[in-house]
Amino acid sequence: MKKIIFAIMAIMLSASVFSHGPTPQKVQESVTIAASPEKTWDALKNYSEFKKIMKVRSFKDKKMKIKYELIKKDVPFSDYNAQIRVKKGANDNECIVQWTARFYRTYKLNPPIPEGQDDATAVAAVKEIVGPGLAEFKKFVESK
Amino acid sequence: MFIFYDMFKQKKLSTLNAKIYHLFILTFFLIILYFYFFYYFKDEHISKAYITNQGDNTVSIIDLNTLKKIKTLKVGIAPLGITILQNKKLVFVGNVGTDDISVINAVNDKLIKTIKLDTAPLSLASNPDETEVYITDWFKNNVLTISVEEMKVTRSLKVGKTPSGITFNKKHQYQIITNRDANTIEIYNKNYNLVKKLKTGDHPFGVYTIGDFAYTANVYDDSVSVINLIDWSIYDFLVGAHPYNILAHNKIAYITNTVDDTLTIYDLNTKKEIKTLDTGETPENLDLNVKLNLLVVTNWGSNSISIFDTQSLRLIKEIKTGAQSRSFGDFILQ
Repeated sequence: MKKIIFAIMAIMLSASVFSHGPTPQKVQESVTIAASPEKTWDALKNYSEFKKIMKVRSFKDKKMKIKYELIKKDVPFSDYNAQIRVKKGANDNECIVQWTARFYRTYKLNPPIPEGQDDATAVAAVKEIVGPGLAEFKKFVESK
Repeated sequence: MFIFYDMFKQKKLSTLNAKIYHLFILTFFLIILYFYFFYYFKDEHISKAYITNQGDNTVSIIDLNTLKKIKTLKVGIAPLGITILQNKKLVFVGNVGTDDISVINAVNDKLIKTIKLDTAPLSLASNPDETEVYITDWFKNNVLTISVEEMKVTRSLKVGKTPSGITFNKKHQYQIITNRDANTIEIYNKNYNLVKKLKTGDHPFGVYTIGDFAYTANVYDDSVSVINLIDWSIYDFLVGAHPYNILAHNKIAYITNTVDDTLTIYDLNTKKEIKTLDTGETPENLDLNVKLNLLVVTNWGSNSISIFDTQSLRLIKEIKTGAQSRSFGDFILQ
């Protein structure tokens, strides 16, 4: 039994690196936070809410940029990787946090594309994560 | 003319004749001036970069002398691949969303033709005599040939799985493609016969060729494969994270690393990295203007291009283009 499960898992894992369509999708959203870039960057590095759904791949202190991979399962999109960066704002006590996600639809083969596995579904699902995610992070930083 | 001058000198000319004489001289001088400026400006070299913006269905056109965006042209939906016929001054753009090719006249930057396909075009390349344009059909495992004279598809060649990047080797007259999901590179001769098929690194996408070599950017193992087209030997070298494309000139390779947001510059003679430069977000593709010593990188994430000086290895300028700038192929009109 264990062998079968393992085999199935191996197949599913290898399936994730199979073909995907030629059009990577993009969701890029920003939020302005009333806090200094340095304070926000510190908060971002330790922010547990993001770490619940994404694994940190790398971060660059100089550029205030973190690269993530997705660990959240059961999502209608694939090959997701993202970066969140902190940029200078209009003044010293303000900054802009920008989240850029790159991903593909679930259905990786030739069209016709089954319902729920298309580009539109993928984009909507990522927007649902990014929009509220940024809003909550803003509240978190501004409340500190 | 000199007779007039002598006569004028000797005050033998009337005032009217003197005026005519002066007018004549002035006109003569102006004509000389006109020709001087006309030929001077005619020889000024126009070089432009054509950037396909997959997110807003446009092509941004950048003047590489002034480093300014001069025009935004609407093309089909989700433009990705591009190739430029340098002498015929034609730009071919593949639109993934509308399954067609937009043809742009690079003299006046106007869309002159749309060629319908029955499939989504991924990557484009052309032959040196500019009679054919080749397109990889990723979904159906074909390479399509477009006759430039007839402006339509004249041939379809069955190739290996998921043909991705395509390029043409002038010296050997080879069509070279990467098969992304099969991890292979395939080399076809001008009779469309498969000359060789070799295993590359993992997930080869962009491919470049010059002289006796071909190079693939292997996205999943962060490497480049270097293929010798004479003895078919291969070696790999490591670059940054998720390299998408590669270009080589004077034995120096330039590689875009889409997850690191960097450009690797590698010496192919000493087999050592020279430098790593920061680019915009998700740098995908690149092209070179040799005369101006400019390397242009398209940044999908920043919606921009980064322009580097290849002599000082420094960033000169970043220019905002359109949404999700890609330009997979050759995109600089030299």
